Amino acid sequence: MACELKEKERAGVINPIFTCQPCGAQYASIGIRDCIGVVHGGQGCVMFVRLLFSQHFKESFELASSSVHEDGAVFGALNRVEEAVDVLLMRYPHVKVIPIITTCCTEVIGDDVDGVVRKLNEGLLKEKYADREVYLIPIHTPSFKGSMVSGYDVAVKDFVSYFAKKDQPNGKLNLITGWANPGDVTALKHLLAEMGVDATVLFEIESFDSPLMPEGNHVSHGSTTIEDLTGTANALGTIALNRYEGGQAAGYLESEFGVPAIIGPTPIGIRNTDTFLRNVQKLTGRPIPESLVRERGIAIDALTDFTHMFLADKKVAIYGSADLVVGLAEFCLDLEMKPVLLLLGDDNKAYPDDPRIKALQENVAFDMEVVMNADLWELENRIKNQGLKLDLILGHSKGRFTSIDYNIPMVRAGFPTYDRAGHYRYPVVGYAGAIWLGETIANTLFADMEYKKNKEWVLNVW
Amino acid sequence: MTEDLMKERIAQLVDYIMKKCLWQFHSRAWDRERQNAGILTKTMQILCEEPVENQTPADRCYWVDAVCLADGFRQKYPWLDSMDKAEIKILMQGLKDRIDFLTITGSLNEELTVPLY
Amino acid sequence: MPYHLFKCSECIPERKKHAVIKGHGETLADALPLGYLNTIPGTISERGCAYCGAKHVIGTPMKDVIHMSHGPVGCTYDTWQTKRYISDNDNFQLKYTYATDMKEKHIVFGAEKLLKQNIIEAFRAFPNIKRMTIYQTCASALIGDDINAVAQEVMEEMPGVDIFVCNSPGFGGPSQSGGHHKINIAWIKQKVGTVEPKITSDYVINYVGEYNIQGDQEVMLDYFKRMGIQVLSSFTGNGSYDDLRAMHRAHLNVLECARSAEYICNELRVKYGTPRLDIDGFGFEPLAASLRKVGLFFGIEDRAQAIIAEETARWKPELDWYKERLKGKKVCLWPGGSKLWHWAHAIHEEMGVEVVSVYTKFGHQGDMEKGISRCEEGALAIDDPNELEGLEAMEMLKPDIIFTGKRPGEVAKKIRVPYLNAHAYHNGPWKGFEGWVRFARDIYNAIYSPLHQLSYLDISKDEIPTDKGFLTQRMLSDANLSEEIVSSSNLREYTGKYDIISDLRGKTYPDFPAPKQLSAV
Repeated sequence: MACELKEKERAGVINPIFTCQPCGAQYASIGIRDCIGVVHGGQGCVMFVRLLFSQHFKESFELASSSVHEDGAVFGALNRVEEAVDVLLMRYPHVKVIPIITTCCTEVIGDDVDGVVRKLNEGLLKEKYADREVYLIPIHTPSFKGSMVSGYDVAVKDFVSYFAKKDQPNGKLNLITGWANPGDVTALKHLLAEMGVDATVLFEIESFDSPLMPEGNHVSHGSTTIEDLTGTANALGTIALNRYEGGQAAGYLESEFGVPAIIGPTPIGIRNTDTFLRNVQKLTGRPIPESLVRERGIAIDALTDFTHMFLADKKVAIYGSADLVVGLAEFCLDLEMKPVLLLLGDDNKAYPDDPRIKALQENVAFDMEVVMNADLWELENRIKNQGLKLDLILGHSKGRFTSIDYNIPMVRAGFPTYDRAGHYRYPVVGYAGAIWLGETIANTLFADMEYKKNKEWVLNVW
Repeated sequence: MTEDLMKERIAQLVDYIMKKCLWQFHSRAWDRERQNAGILTKTMQILCEEPVENQTPADRCYWVDAVCLADGFRQKYPWLDSMDKAEIKILMQGLKDRIDFLTITGSLNEELTVPLY
Repeated sequence: MPYHLFKCSECIPERKKHAVIKGHGETLADALPLGYLNTIPGTISERGCAYCGAKHVIGTPMKDVIHMSHGPVGCTYDTWQTKRYISDNDNFQLKYTYATDMKEKHIVFGAEKLLKQNIIEAFRAFPNIKRMTIYQTCASALIGDDINAVAQEVMEEMPGVDIFVCNSPGFGGPSQSGGHHKINIAWIKQKVGTVEPKITSDYVINYVGEYNIQGDQEVMLDYFKRMGIQVLSSFTGNGSYDDLRAMHRAHLNVLECARSAEYICNELRVKYGTPRLDIDGFGFEPLAASLRKVGLFFGIEDRAQAIIAEETARWKPELDWYKERLKGKKVCLWPGGSKLWHWAHAIHEEMGVEVVSVYTKFGHQGDMEKGISRCEEGALAIDDPNELEGLEAMEMLKPDIIFTGKRPGEVAKKIRVPYLNAHAYHNGPWKGFEGWVRFARDIYNAIYSPLHQLSYLDISKDEIPTDKGFLTQRMLSDANLSEEIVSSSNLREYTGKYDIISDLRGKTYPDFPAPKQLSAV
């Protein structure tokens, strides 16, 4: 009876949990104002990622391709990058930031993206765009390394290290959210506002949830500015909420500019939110106000209403990115549930040393498996062929058929969530996130009881 | 019949084919030649009540398009009934010339001469 | 001036040859957009890659197959669960996708061993599935793995399994169309003729270029079965791998999406003499003509006519109800490839809408020939459109609705143009007689959405009708209709069910008299 950490035994992937690195770099780049990324590779590497974002947010985001075709794959395709940058700058006069995001294709053919950026800086930008502020940033995200999560981590670090510049202290806190939803950013900014903390949020993505207005065109785009990025070197400190999604950037700011960094924990659940607020207090010296004591109280009150009666001992499987999965597992434990299977969707070698995973290994007293480099077949195979019984699945939409085919209720969490309306608008972090998650889990189980006629009468007097 | 009227009628038939048919747009010039000749010849034969070859699979496939085309023409263009067979032959030859021009000789489609499918 | 240069593209003048406005008295010989050329980098084109054209569009609809991509995980992930091609085996091909998960060490040392291990693991995970397609990706193409050799080796070691190899890396062509081509040719070269089918009818067809979006193939199959026709194979929607290996035994290839699948029909004609009949499954008149042609081919025209009469009587009053309410509405018909010509004339003729623009992301000039031919004068035709051109076109044309993909649909939404999903459909199927009514119903619901009307109002300054708690589509659509039409007893709204496919799967069909002779034609 213990928590066991293991690797997927199969070599291949059946139903992947993640897509590849360039997607993560693209997700980071849409968070920056006046930025359109150029993905250097085949067109599918952009087209499908744009579709994925569009499925999750029901919005369209701008990303360009260098459109590498056969000749480029054979003879090198740097000319395609040069042309893409020029065409993009000509047709999008507001664009200032162009990350050049590599893929497996262009990394394998060995295109020197850093070299072409130097060439463009010396040539095209000086000659044709002399009076224009343009930043070209090579971002190396070969698809055969890591996953979309590490691609995001790499890109955040590359953006920060490109722009961050030492100047006068700005009195602000850097908050690196990780791969978040607009609802998460709103919840986090609310907590900081209550504490009176001025923060630079990487990235400001609340505007991903963009309006349909009576006039004009409102393209969904993030609103983090170049100044925001530049100023990260001058902050009081950095909190990176997610170790694997922005942690590198926090580390960079600490080692390069002496900006103290606190990495994690992901503020999912009451306990982790408490820690987050204490960390904010530590870095800024601001007290935690009465309003947050009250908010916390409301959250605990809400969760207490159902947790012992309905959630205790329920068996849960959770999959997705490590920060989210571990955060959700911790919250489930606080809610008296039993997260029996955690699937981490890539082969990051740092997982065994993660203190949160170690804590699970040391303290969990029921059978729990944590599978690294996992795919969704690790979940389905256990249910289908190995007798795993579950009461709940937590994860993103790509696992929906496991829930449907085996009649296991599922709460969508993580990216992408395309088979439920508006999930991106709700937080999983902060006290607000704890309430939303807890109540959504409870309501999902209630609906399942009714659908299956499984003690549905219990709810008569709740 | 005046040349203008003939032209005008051919234009109507061309429009019908362009709006309703797909057979004239196979991807290569040699296929378009084959298709245009096969289907328009048989259509002419049907309209002129001449015997039509339809026994081989290829002939039969042209023939079904020709039957539908001839029916469509007769339904939509009552003036066909007032034309005699000699006139119909001239009309249909003019139609074939025009379709050949639009889809082959005058076509701007640069893929028509690609040697492989 | 037939060619049209968008303002936003004046800086890339080569774009001028990619757009044409159909002018008065002008023909295809005067102007035709260029097509299937390399994309201009950085334009924010909507094109995908050749891998997705092979795997996602044509490969994966095959229903009883393990679809494995040899490469990093992203290609397979990205092309999984983003389409609505269903199947009658519980959607196996939608639910499961496989990647060999190529990593850096494999890039350096090769990944053939990894591939073999993957193949064996996948067959082991799904012991009832004995067929596999392996798709090359950019990475596996560039490192030069010999996928054919590995597949051959496994087939020798595992009797009973069969593997198809599709070498179509993402960079292999200007768009997904490169992949359509490669998988067509690979299939006929590797697989056609390797299975001898059981022939159960005198009338045997392959149904080609049909991907069973929301059940399209099953609707058409129903008609063919009612005619006593044996559909030997479907290329590839709801299609079975082994059936498709027997394509050489059909008497006729009935082709829908010529863009993606004309290659295999052309090759089958050359190699086996099977004729190619291009049809339209969309629209009452085109569909009726198509069924009639198939019937004529086999000498069973009466059976086709019976279906046409029955279906038309049942559904025409409902189609016409919508036509009265859609007349004159402006449509941008902006699909991927074939629907611009499948729909352009049929929606104009049968639903009364005006097609003000057609575009194609990955079509060739031949598709533009068909599409432009089927448009009325004044229509704007665009090849390989990009985001800014799309916006400029919509500003210029002020369409009432746009039929396009999911993501471009979101672009249209933001400038208050409702969209319908042209690839995956809203509430399909849209093929067949009933399906065509469902399409009309979806258009109607989008155009007359009460909410959509509200999107034009600025609460801060416009006059807001505060006397109404609601509006209905009918209140909007019927406001300017004559009493005669509004109260017509000959017309009625759509009366079908939400799901019309499940019932078809349990249906039984009449036995026609025993075959007179095999190979009737």
